Amino acid sequence: MRRAALVAAFTLTLGVGCSSGGGTGAADGPDAASWRDEVKPGQLEVGVLSAKGTPGLKFLENLGGRLEQERPGTDVTLTFANTEARPGIEQRWRAGTPPDVDYGMFDGTVPNLREWADDEALVDLTPYLQQPDPVSGKPWLDRYSPTVRKFMEHPESKKIYAVPSELSLHVLFYNAKLFKDLGIKPPTTWDELLAASSALSAKQVDPIALTGLFEPYMGMWSDHLWLRTVGYQKARGVLTEGKGHITEDPGFLKGLQMLQELRDKNAFLKGFKGTDFTAAQAQFFQGKAGMILMGSWLVSEMKDVIPKGFELGVLAFPKVTGGAGDQGAVMAALQNVSIAAKSPDIPLALDWINRLTSVETQTKRATEIGEVSAVVGVPSPPGVPGIDAVLSQAEALEPRDYGLSQSKAGKPVYAEIARLLFGEQDAEQTLQRLDAALRRVHKN
Amino acid sequence: MHRLAQRRIILPFLLPAAVLLALFFLYPLVRTVGISLSDWTRTGNSRFVGGANYTALLTDPEYRTALKNTFAFTFIGGCLLFPPAVAIAWALNQPIRGEKFFRFVIFAPVVLSAAVVALMWKFIYHPTLGLISPAMAEVGLGGMAREWLGDPLTALPAVAFTTVWQGIGIWVVLLSAGFERLPRDVLEAGRVDGAGEWRLFWSVMMPLLYDLLRILLVLWIVQSMQAFAFVYIMTGGGPFGSTEVVGTLMYRIAIDQTEFGYAAAMGVVLVAILLAVTAILNKVLKRDDLEY
Repeated sequence: MRRAALVAAFTLTLGVGCSSGGGTGAADGPDAASWRDEVKPGQLEVGVLSAKGTPGLKFLENLGGRLEQERPGTDVTLTFANTEARPGIEQRWRAGTPPDVDYGMFDGTVPNLREWADDEALVDLTPYLQQPDPVSGKPWLDRYSPTVRKFMEHPESKKIYAVPSELSLHVLFYNAKLFKDLGIKPPTTWDELLAASSALSAKQVDPIALTGLFEPYMGMWSDHLWLRTVGYQKARGVLTEGKGHITEDPGFLKGLQMLQELRDKNAFLKGFKGTDFTAAQAQFFQGKAGMILMGSWLVSEMKDVIPKGFELGVLAFPKVTGGAGDQGAVMAALQNVSIAAKSPDIPLALDWINRLTSVETQTKRATEIGEVSAVVGVPSPPGVPGIDAVLSQAEALEPRDYGLSQSKAGKPVYAEIARLLFGEQDAEQTLQRLDAALRRVHKN
Repeated sequence: MHRLAQRRIILPFLLPAAVLLALFFLYPLVRTVGISLSDWTRTGNSRFVGGANYTALLTDPEYRTALKNTFAFTFIGGCLLFPPAVAIAWALNQPIRGEKFFRFVIFAPVVLSAAVVALMWKFIYHPTLGLISPAMAEVGLGGMAREWLGDPLTALPAVAFTTVWQGIGIWVVLLSAGFERLPRDVLEAGRVDGAGEWRLFWSVMMPLLYDLLRILLVLWIVQSMQAFAFVYIMTGGGPFGSTEVVGTLMYRIAIDQTEFGYAAAMGVVLVAILLAVTAILNKVLKRDDLEY
């Protein structure tokens, strides 16, 4: 009898474990044409990426303060929703008690990040974005650069589930003063990059700051080289979607050989294998390395350690002469904000994202904390000279890392790139090992 | 009648512990088993897939590597932990000046959080800005300096050392208590018979501490096989998977790849392995009571 009861309890609990969970599901939003009239004071919880004590959080606190002032009775709570807090926040989404507004819930270019929208856990913003913006008179949607639309829009339903609050471009930063003093031309092509590396090495400066303790940042080099030698669509197909094999396109090997060439020239920071990314970034700003390939967040992230008078230069990743890929594309990541369908106050949440992504707020943000914006008409941050040229000259913005970070293939691919950079194998061996790993992951 | 009364009084005493055990151990365990039999999406929807996640584990080289690394971490950490912990506990049991100070120094890292210790040691291990490699270079041992966390040969031992450095205080306290409880008359008798301290240590103290050491060994195995924080913060499982342990692999599969079912299967297998290892060790190391 006792045993039977135990078995029953076990089966019941197992059943709970196997049952369809979720707790997501859609709620009706306000009328698209009149949502602004429906905004009333209330409680609003916003998930934020900026940690305590950072200028980013202070900025958002001020924005929340202004909203509370303008709508007396409103209470805005900012909840840290990044890094170690992220699993807990996602658990709240699964349990059906999410923040009203949150980051990282949707990216149209990453299949894994479309799941919440597919489950109707996010508000479809399309009808609201189609309404005229009272400030400009044009549809709210026109506020955002058309180059970032694919990040906001579901590729199948064409519905928009997120708007961009920040745009991160992957660019090659260089120490402009050092380059000027040493008479080195900032590299716009791969050959110029090699020449700049040799010139820096000759002057006892490590050419490129790099971390060996975070594989995706080492993988940024192969990501960009393959963008130039293979092309985004083809590379993404092979790496993330399992369409074809890596050995079939010679551009993959070419990219690896170019990376090996850089490695063999000792172009990377001394001791990079044991250096984490914060230290690598700091060493770049200390003048110990001439260049670093990083997201445009670098400047706001390292604001406190950038020495006075440091002259920063920004370039798109060098073009590869004769490369079969996209020479004018720039890799980018968008920090998207979405509204929970279960939010009890969708009009107030719409008000928040409207304010957050307004030209006024984004301009202030760019000026004060150096964030790049995807909102049209927002100037480039003054601390990142040249980023506006990179953005305006970009033929396309392609999602960073081909979606590898969220895919099963990410770890094996970047581990092989790390082996190549650590000198454990050459380009040809790397290609063979990548081929084996990708065939295993994609079962093709 | 008396037995019945006893039973009635036992129940209320056991109930709080039983409820807590059921709520925070049994329920999560059974739920994890349930999740491991399903394909769980990021949004919490699930589909029953039977043993598919377990079958996939059998052919997953990443899991095999993580298991191998987990055992290596346990072994290396154990070697780094027990000899110094026993030596320090023995030393603290001797009449030495400043005993309290030494106890404080050894126990102090225990109260620091794993994150603080991991970040501190990450800096200490840094090849050019840290303490170890530049110091070795200064005294002419630069040739032996390594990129400790960036070298697949040294990364796992370096993380294991940090883990031990932080936690050794607890083990020293437990072992000290064991040393203090050794029967004084037996030790005195040994001394009267002419045994030196070294002989006493090996031939009297160690056999008397055998049961304690066995329990501590099992505890270390259970603790170290669940390693996560130090590896995650210091190396993230790299370089190229050389420090990836089951804990960090599970986290990556569940959080980055949102394959909760597969990650749960990894956890269930780890629990099974832990139980098996513990049972085997208990059986192998069990001995008859020793009487002096």
